[in-house]
Amino acid sequence: MVDYTVLLQQVINGVSLGAMYALLAIGFTLVYGILELINFAHFNVFMIGSFFGMWALEALGLSGQSQVLTGLALAGALAFAFAIAMLGSGVLGVAIERIALRPLRGIPGTTGMITTIGVSYILFNVILLAAGADAKNFPNPLPTRRWQVAGAVIDLREVLIWGIALVLMVGLQLFVSRTRLGKAMRATAQDAEAARMMGVDVDRVVVAAFFLGSALAGAAALIFGLYYNYTSFLIGYTAGLRAFTAAVLGGIGSVTGAMVGGLIIGLIETLGGQLIAVRWTDVIIFSILVLVLVFVPSGLFGRAAPTKS
Amino acid sequence: MLSRRALVIQLPAVALAASWAGRTLAASKRITVGISLPLTGADADDANLIKDGAMLAIDEANAKGGVAGYNIDVMVLDDGTATAGQYDPAQAATNARKMVADDKVVAAIGPQMSGSGKAMAPILSEGNLATITPSSTNPDITDPKFAAQFDPGGKPIYFRTVTTDAFQGPNMANYFAQTLKVKRVYVLDDSGAYGVGMANAFAAQGKKVGMDVLGHDQLDPREADYTTILTKIKGLNPDGLYYGGVAQAGVKLAKQCYDILPKIVKGGGDGMYSSSVLSGAGFPAFANWYATIAAPYVFNQPRVQEWSKRFQAKYGRAPSGYSVTAYDAALVIFDAVKRVAASGKPVTRSAVRDAVQSTRLETLQGMVNFDKNGDIENRVVSVFQVLPQRDPKYPVGDVLHQLRYLGVAPQTA
Repeated sequence: MVDYTVLLQQVINGVSLGAMYALLAIGFTLVYGILELINFAHFNVFMIGSFFGMWALEALGLSGQSQVLTGLALAGALAFAFAIAMLGSGVLGVAIERIALRPLRGIPGTTGMITTIGVSYILFNVILLAAGADAKNFPNPLPTRRWQVAGAVIDLREVLIWGIALVLMVGLQLFVSRTRLGKAMRATAQDAEAARMMGVDVDRVVVAAFFLGSALAGAAALIFGLYYNYTSFLIGYTAGLRAFTAAVLGGIGSVTGAMVGGLIIGLIETLGGQLIAVRWTDVIIFSILVLVLVFVPSGLFGRAAPTKS
Repeated sequence: MLSRRALVIQLPAVALAASWAGRTLAASKRITVGISLPLTGADADDANLIKDGAMLAIDEANAKGGVAGYNIDVMVLDDGTATAGQYDPAQAATNARKMVADDKVVAAIGPQMSGSGKAMAPILSEGNLATITPSSTNPDITDPKFAAQFDPGGKPIYFRTVTTDAFQGPNMANYFAQTLKVKRVYVLDDSGAYGVGMANAFAAQGKKVGMDVLGHDQLDPREADYTTILTKIKGLNPDGLYYGGVAQAGVKLAKQCYDILPKIVKGGGDGMYSSSVLSGAGFPAFANWYATIAAPYVFNQPRVQEWSKRFQAKYGRAPSGYSVTAYDAALVIFDAVKRVAASGKPVTRSAVRDAVQSTRLETLQGMVNFDKNGDIENRVVSVFQVLPQRDPKYPVGDVLHQLRYLGVAPQTA
């Protein structure tokens, strides 16, 4: 009864979705790891990132899906769009931290988190008013190229998404594990006060976390646009919530956890939709969130939550 | 927030402020027509085409000195919200209350969407305020079976210058089976009141005319990814796909269908006869889709072409089929007001409602008269197809020129 070709196709779809969720989940995890703050503005940093990417492509004179580039022109256009989307989102993330969150640092309780919800709504409405509520036709210069693998179809876009996501995640891992700033980030995540005493500039670490997380959200957003040829002011909510679930599932605070969590959520979404029913997708995903929170509160890869002193 | 939503355009007021002499004459005779449409959100383009159709009629009437001596003011309300991203039934209910609360409002035009209509109908019914919808097609709202829910006031107040999905869905199923020779069809809807009703009506008739309905699933309009469901559908090997729903899910569906199900016959209802979908999904994704409207196609008639020129001159773009029905809706209200005034009775909303009920009026789309529930007697469903390639002479969102008229969908015998 089960058609394996269709299942394979759903796995391919799921990995593509998962790659996007993983990039987005890293933003939640980086900030949480360092500040123990859940940054709900991240949802809409992602959304605005897709607009940065769209504007970048439109600035190159691209519109719709009928203008196709190849070779060097394509690589150049994509590099430009990724640079704009990632830089723009990264700077936006840093600005949010600097303007809205730094003044609140040290205030205990949920003040910071509530503030990020407020910022999220501001971003949402800014785009709604500036760009309008209609669905935007996202320019896509990628040629249509498809490969048959055991009956399933792999699109050039998908290969590109996996490649870019992989490069970014490996790059992030290397950054966190090999560089001085990465080391400082890990130190601050373990114990901010001790890190400060050892001479780590915590403000710089926080800015780095916001920049990196937001830039990866920008990359995820551009991937989203190229994958669906679509964006709108609404896209942050669903994708953000799933990515947040991915971060919790993987263990919030853990970069590896975010990546694995993203993939798992992507696969649950497509395989659950195939084997059960698409309308149950959210029920399945959020049931898993609840189960994880109840039975493995620290997630798959998370360390046990440190008690706050 | 409030002032933006309750934007009351009092066009003649500007002229009046300039000349106080006319004040006593005109100010004593003013009535208001309420308009509630999703002017922001995913359907904004189409909603504005409807609004412009109604506004053209109102402006033309006022320019000729009003209707039976009454100046027509307009209360334009938006039922689209940011949280919904499209029409929002809760906002539509608020708008209905606002209209009912204002004594000057004697009739209304709208809503665009049946989901809003279901929320507005009971409130308008209690207030005995007639509304004429130029595009909302869900049959339940005017069905006497659901009178307790949608018409607690007892007298029909929900009139339509389009027919309902009791014809739109089934007639398109006939068209799929008989004209397009579709054998295996999958049905999707967008979980909205209109979409679900359309899809159900299509699926039921589809089975009757011998199509194999492989399944019926719902799309979440706020979800971005439909590849999962489309891959699942592809695995079932359909040769046709029918979508009941509006632009928010429709844009994404058209795009993702183009990648996953490029070859099969794809069609929708009047939700896909849409400027918003044309510009959001664009070509080639939306090319060759079928769509319907629940009204006759009249743009091949000289008097409608002449009207269409007036519309373009004023708004700088081509009208849609539902700009015509909106214009007609305004004409129906004017005609009712005239008859009430001629009978010597005061122009109140209940008198206007009674007059609307007995309408027999030649309009742009032809004769408009209503059955006892408020539905139009003329039950024509017109079928269109999106051009295989964009016609570069016209804007991409131009429904008049980027879709071509194919004919009338076969009525169920």
